[in-house]
Amino acid sequence: MTGGKPRPRWRFLVSPRWLAWHAFAVAAAWGMLWLGDWQFHRAESGNALSWAYTFEWPIFVIFGVVFWAKTIVDEWRHKGATDRRPARPASGDVVELPARAHTAAAVDDDAAADPELAAYNAYLARLNSRQAR
Amino acid sequence: MRPDWLRLVVHGYRAMAYVTGTMLCILVFVCIPVQVWGHNAAPADVVGTLHGFLYIVYIIVAFAMTRAVRMKIASPGTIIVLLAGTIPVLTFVVERWVTRRYITPALAGVTPSEQPVLR
Repeated sequence: MTGGKPRPRWRFLVSPRWLAWHAFAVAAAWGMLWLGDWQFHRAESGNALSWAYTFEWPIFVIFGVVFWAKTIVDEWRHKGATDRRPARPASGDVVELPARAHTAAAVDDDAAADPELAAYNAYLARLNSRQAR
Repeated sequence: MRPDWLRLVVHGYRAMAYVTGTMLCILVFVCIPVQVWGHNAAPADVVGTLHGFLYIVYIIVAFAMTRAVRMKIASPGTIIVLLAGTIPVLTFVVERWVTRRYITPALAGVTPSEQPVLR
């Protein structure tokens, strides 16, 4: 977090654009549950084909919820990366690597997903600090 | 992202894109005409149900693929990939576009820079 006025990281969730997205997610989930319920009643009244759709709609609801959650996680990570980047201290005797192939966010993502890559990044950081001495 | 996971997800996506797309073409161009003009609903029932379940598998694999090649979530590209399985012929077109635009660079190890989710 930088100095000045630190805005809480979750604030993006209540911006108008995100509120519209939440509303859409709720409406879509409700609509799909309603369709599933409708198919269930049709199935009960003798339409055998509707049994398939009775189970399909709830699966789509689950997928929709996962998708919605992933959008939040992605934005949360992105915000975290942009907040941290300027806070890095520019110490006099540490030589910065000339260019970064990845953004900080991409590195964090990779490290979370892949312990091998995290270890490799730590190794690169060690080499970098040794070179500075 | 591990390269073997990327490859697995890409192959899974391609297989499901072709299987689901073919099934949907059979449904729309063969079974539904048979139902409407031939007055026989059985083929459409069977193929329609089959496509429904294939689409569930498709949407899961396709979503995993969009994550693996780092497509922006909630972007038009991702939405089109996910919905392509419900529109005849579109899966084939979209599969080629995704391959050119995202899969080939991802397999070559190029990472697109992180983008904000909604903006």
